[in-house]
Amino acid sequence: MRSLTRANDAKAFIRVWKVMEMCFRVLHHGKLVTQRELFYKLLSDSPEFFTSQCQVNRTVQDVVALLRCTRRSLGIMASSRGAIIGRLLLQEPGEEIIDCSVLGQAGHVITGDLNLLSKLVFRSDARFIIIVEKDAIFQRLAEDGLFNQIPCILITAKGYPDIATRFILHRLNQNFPDLPVLALVDWNPAGLAILCTYKFGSTTMGLESYRYACNVKWLGLRGDDLQLVPQHSLVQLKPRDLQIAKSLMSSKLLQEPYAAELTMMVEMGHKVEIEALYCHGFDFLGKYIAGKIVQSDYI
Amino acid sequence: MVGRSSSSNPSDVLRQIKGFVLLLIQDISRNRAPSVALDRFRIYCSDPSGNCICNYDLPIGKEIISLEKESHAYRLDVLLRVLQIIQQLLQEKRHASKRDIYYMHPSVFLEQAVVDRAINDICILLKCSRHHLNVVPVGKGLVMGWLRFVEAGRKSCCIRSPDTAYPVPVNSEDIKDIASVAKYVLVVEKETVFQRLANDQFCERNHCIVITGRGYPDVPTRRFLRHLVEQLHLPVYCLVDSDPYGFDILTTYRFGSMQMAYDAMLMHVPELRWLGVFPSDFEKYNLPDHCLLHLTSEDKKKVEAMLSRCYLHKEAPKWRLELEIMLQKGVKFEIEALSVNSLSFLSDWYIPSKIQNGYYI
Repeated sequence: MRSLTRANDAKAFIRVWKVMEMCFRVLHHGKLVTQRELFYKLLSDSPEFFTSQCQVNRTVQDVVALLRCTRRSLGIMASSRGAIIGRLLLQEPGEEIIDCSVLGQAGHVITGDLNLLSKLVFRSDARFIIIVEKDAIFQRLAEDGLFNQIPCILITAKGYPDIATRFILHRLNQNFPDLPVLALVDWNPAGLAILCTYKFGSTTMGLESYRYACNVKWLGLRGDDLQLVPQHSLVQLKPRDLQIAKSLMSSKLLQEPYAAELTMMVEMGHKVEIEALYCHGFDFLGKYIAGKIVQSDYI
Repeated sequence: MVGRSSSSNPSDVLRQIKGFVLLLIQDISRNRAPSVALDRFRIYCSDPSGNCICNYDLPIGKEIISLEKESHAYRLDVLLRVLQIIQQLLQEKRHASKRDIYYMHPSVFLEQAVVDRAINDICILLKCSRHHLNVVPVGKGLVMGWLRFVEAGRKSCCIRSPDTAYPVPVNSEDIKDIASVAKYVLVVEKETVFQRLANDQFCERNHCIVITGRGYPDVPTRRFLRHLVEQLHLPVYCLVDSDPYGFDILTTYRFGSMQMAYDAMLMHVPELRWLGVFPSDFEKYNLPDHCLLHLTSEDKKKVEAMLSRCYLHKEAPKWRLELEIMLQKGVKFEIEALSVNSLSFLSDWYIPSKIQNGYYI
């Protein structure tokens, strides 16, 4: 609730209007801005109200919530970090078909343009969609040709997912509702937080992020995989990890058995990265994933 | 390339590895403490006289690692373990990143830097580049524009949609059939600028190629840029923020990095020109004062350290002058400051007019 009665709130209130005004101007010229450009424009235009990028980002979220619109519709360009590879054919209307199974290991770069993504036509013979937290793992699995051994689509946002990656995942989920969506993340609070972002959306992204929530299942790494990794790959949890764990615990969305896994992490005080499995050889990861899928070992 | 082996294919490297290990075993069997001699390379120092011997090609001195010294025993252990992993990668025709290698024996390696040093030592020892050992990073760079190439049998037709981003290929060696009708290559520091140019359909309208390393460029991005320049003979311009990090990124593209000094020959781009944003552009283009930030004390230290780099004296004195202006004025600003008054200023005016009028150094 923003009102004019408290000085800080008054400024926040004005910021919302200033952002709306700036976006209006941008849209009027038929253009798009990056968040950074928006910051500089606002800084120049109203320096008494805007001092940091974070402030601008928060205000944009407020506007999105207020107008019940998307950032894209305000004229703000989204960057995309996502990549996709595997048994999928993508086609923009009128353009050539992109076969994601014959690309280099970096995969197909997912565009930040949500309009374009909404027009894509998909065809696939995959049986699973696997979300991979980290780019390095994505490229390793791409190089090993995992999607030819287990017909699947691999997708990564190289960390916390951006809107574009979540949007394309959402569309794939809608187009192929029978395909289980599985997640491969590090065994640490951040990994679980990333999984939850795909699954539920995120408060920091604002209201629009809940639109693209997907029923994602946790494939790995999980607590019972710890027996597969050497003692030395367990790394102590840092204060930041504990912070993330705390905020996850307090979230109403976190239910069993995820809460039990998080409790185990905090009690053990340690975390493990997926790469720890490499001690068994580089091809172990593919076998690990295949094994889990075959046994439907996901929660 | 003086001092470098011309052989770079996997079977040659495997043979070299075998040869090296045999020598060590011979030493041990004759009751001699095995030792390894490594060349040291240096691409810059802080000697301003211009008489230093820094260069891209020849080693400067040697370092001997020997089992005679206890402190070297660990280093040699790590080197041999990493060598064994590399041998396996080459035999299985697999690739791995430095991080992946670290995870093979985290209890011995203890930290990433240890593995990185071993890999560098092996490159120097076998006189080859990292990618010859099948050690490749995860690709980070993006490219778009009037370009077409084939990588390991796969066609990348960037020209079909010149404002769409494609990943920079991880192995420049696999690139064949590179063709382009572009007029120049533009390297940009930040992904946001890359996005701005894509959104403005810059490549399509200006018949060029745009690359970004998304910050400090990784090896594949730098190799790809060099490859483009060698194959296409196009002018190359670089657009960075007017701050210490921007300048450092600029010098990384042009001169190479100290960490990869032994490979600088393959990756530096002497043809690279600094297009902007210059500290002196601030007044020239009447940028608003609010966009200026003060240099922090760390920024100033970084600038001073960069000012002392010998290659600036020898090869880019004009760059050095602009850097001095940055320190003198004590301020920095980002490229986005140029878009404050008009979003299309960068694409429609700043870049094309600078290139046309030769306002680059």
